[in-house]
Amino acid sequence: MEDSESVNIESSRNGVGVVIKVVGRMDAESAPEFEEACKSWVDQGIYQLVIDMGELAYVSSMGLRSFITVGQLAQQKGGNVYLCSMRGLVRQVFEITRLIGLFPVHNSVDSALAPQ
Amino acid sequence: MAGASEFLSLDAAIAHLHPATEFVRRGAVQAGLSGDCLGAVDLVLEELFVNVALHAYPPGVTGEVGIAWSVPRPGLLAVEISNTGEAFDPLLQLEPGLSDSLRDRPIGGLGIFLVRRLTSSLTYVRDGSRNRVRFEISASNYD
Repeated sequence: MEDSESVNIESSRNGVGVVIKVVGRMDAESAPEFEEACKSWVDQGIYQLVIDMGELAYVSSMGLRSFITVGQLAQQKGGNVYLCSMRGLVRQVFEITRLIGLFPVHNSVDSALAPQ
Repeated sequence: MAGASEFLSLDAAIAHLHPATEFVRRGAVQAGLSGDCLGAVDLVLEELFVNVALHAYPPGVTGEVGIAWSVPRPGLLAVEISNTGEAFDPLLQLEPGLSDSLRDRPIGGLGIFLVRRLTSSLTYVRDGSRNRVRFEISASNYD
């Protein structure tokens, strides 16, 4: 399968947190990569994880498991996982499973990073 | 193209998810599906394929998964996922609790739940030694 069918993850530190941009498809093969990337930040003491999902085209239940796992881990440490720029099928999947109500959701990364 | 159909047999392993997805996409294109409807086909196929890969056969045993697609009529894709594992009806799985806090939300149980929500038809039969799960996705549900 083409590279466009896998997931690409880019992380950048921002203040007390990290912005993690997820591009492509998060399925059974690629979800562990996302989960490990998030866990590595938590292991480094970074508990505010801002997930840029604007270019995430697909997420399956294995991807949802990773979001739940990472969200629980961050909250246990006093942090949180912020979901930004969800669209299309990805937003639909989060809505169907009512996960959208369990995470802070923002229309943009800038909105998530803005002072509260 | 109405009436078109194909069959593929693969090892039931997650490493073969992408070939399985590509195969069923051919059927989705033949059915004239597009946009989020194509994504829904990918998602339902993945959930059922991964279910077989992880649970149909004993640990250490790589069994077989059969995938067949057909186009009963334009705008409708029918897919059957079959295996020769122990009799198991995934449709009997209880729906997960969805109103918990994130702290209490179980990490599993969402796959079949999504399959139910995204398909227009979903059936299971035990046919001799084979489990057969058949689903349909209609473009009309994604207009």
